[in-house]
Amino acid sequence: MSPDNESGLEALYGIYRAELLRFLVARTGDASEAEDLLQELWLRARQQNTGPIGNGRAYLYRMAQNLVVDRLREKQRRMVRERRWTDQETDFAAAGVEPADRRRTTEEQMLAREEVATLVSAVTNLPAGARKAFELHKLQGLSHAEVAAELGISKSGVEKHMAVAMKYLRRALLD
Amino acid sequence: MTARLDIEDHLLDEALAWQQSLESDDADWDGYVQWLEADPRHREAFDSVALVNAVVEEHAPAVGDLLAAQPTVDIPRTSRPRRWVAGGAIAAALALVVAIPVLWQADPVTTYRSDPGKSRDFALANGTNVTLSPSSAMVVTGKDAAKIELASGEAYFDVRHDPARTLTVTVNGYQVTDIGTRFIVNAGGGGFHVGVSEGTVSVVAPQSGQAVQIGAGQQMFGDDGGATVAPITPDDVGSWRSGRLSYSDAPLPLVAADIARYSGKAVIVDPSLEKSHFSGILVIGDGTRLLTDLATVMAIRISPEKGGYRLSAARAH
Repeated sequence: MSPDNESGLEALYGIYRAELLRFLVARTGDASEAEDLLQELWLRARQQNTGPIGNGRAYLYRMAQNLVVDRLREKQRRMVRERRWTDQETDFAAAGVEPADRRRTTEEQMLAREEVATLVSAVTNLPAGARKAFELHKLQGLSHAEVAAELGISKSGVEKHMAVAMKYLRRALLD
Repeated sequence: MTARLDIEDHLLDEALAWQQSLESDDADWDGYVQWLEADPRHREAFDSVALVNAVVEEHAPAVGDLLAAQPTVDIPRTSRPRRWVAGGAIAAALALVVAIPVLWQADPVTTYRSDPGKSRDFALANGTNVTLSPSSAMVVTGKDAAKIELASGEAYFDVRHDPARTLTVTVNGYQVTDIGTRFIVNAGGGGFHVGVSEGTVSVVAPQSGQAVQIGAGQQMFGDDGGATVAPITPDDVGSWRSGRLSYSDAPLPLVAADIARYSGKAVIVDPSLEKSHFSGILVIGDGTRLLTDLATVMAIRISPEKGGYRLSAARAH
């Protein structure tokens, strides 16, 4: 890991900063959140000890995209927790009485279990083709091309199956 | 989920197409940004798709394992049995405030909750009777209720003696195993409390990993730092079922958590009192007097705080 590579990502950040900000504004719809995410991106780019990066620009976009999704996920978890616990119950996670980490761990384990149960149930109710494509792509990690070969269908056929699966799971998770 | 359910189908299709194409190495990020900028609804649709994708990726191993464990027989969709089954469905129907929908073939996972001000009785599949104290929650896994986790509040267990099986209750990392006995477990204050009125339970603390036997007339308090064993009057175990909260040398954060559950108000224990203990009996009533009663007995101070109260040491006179 040479210093060149480490400063590489940071240097790339300097080059693409403006367009990354534009991306984050478009992605979040919120200029100040975008700035905040950009700052976080910069910190991570600095810390990261990456090897040589083939396509640094795409790499930074992907990092930025991941930061946005992490925040979304965190926000969604928080909303579920709040809906669960603060409305009808007298637990007071926000007040900080209980050792927050451990308490949170228990809750998150419960949420995770519920999500898993929902997903398993939804997957078994998928149409056979969509289920197969979903299992091969998302659970076994095959690419779309590999799924297409495995199932003997076209790549666009795989995409259609995946769209059916993801929309169905979305509905199951949202309900 | 945060995203709205009512996103138009064609927007979801576009979002899914982008989600898929961005996975490739030569993804068209410029085109993607332009798509996002073209319509704010694109962002919403993408958020929704990205969130589903994140949930799927996070749980892929667990989902894969569960699906693999299922019988592979293809049941025609039309004759497929009921999709959702409330696990351990018994006379529990009344107690079942929230049943997590669970696939019929997989290990059922059921969450039991009790409302504020009301305890709930229910029977688990293995002959165990449980009373959940008000504002408490418990997660039960498996058709024979093999795994139980007390997520919050307190529960009283009356376990039928059956040498063929054991019951394990997890509370904030502590594991209580028993074969036939009566006991309570409490998760208040993020800690752990077990009190035994009959028989013996075995407790494994997360720090030590060692099993400790707790017999009738004994109790154990645990937290991050470790656990302590102390005597308790067997009749006092689960006395909330008859309207009293009985404590014998209980850590104040646990007492405060109980009072918060019964009163519906947050109770914050000031760091100055965190290590205090309380012995005594509080009459529950409608829950509103518990805190003042406690403060009077302990000669400590109550001050209002956002959403509840703070307990702190009385000022020196």
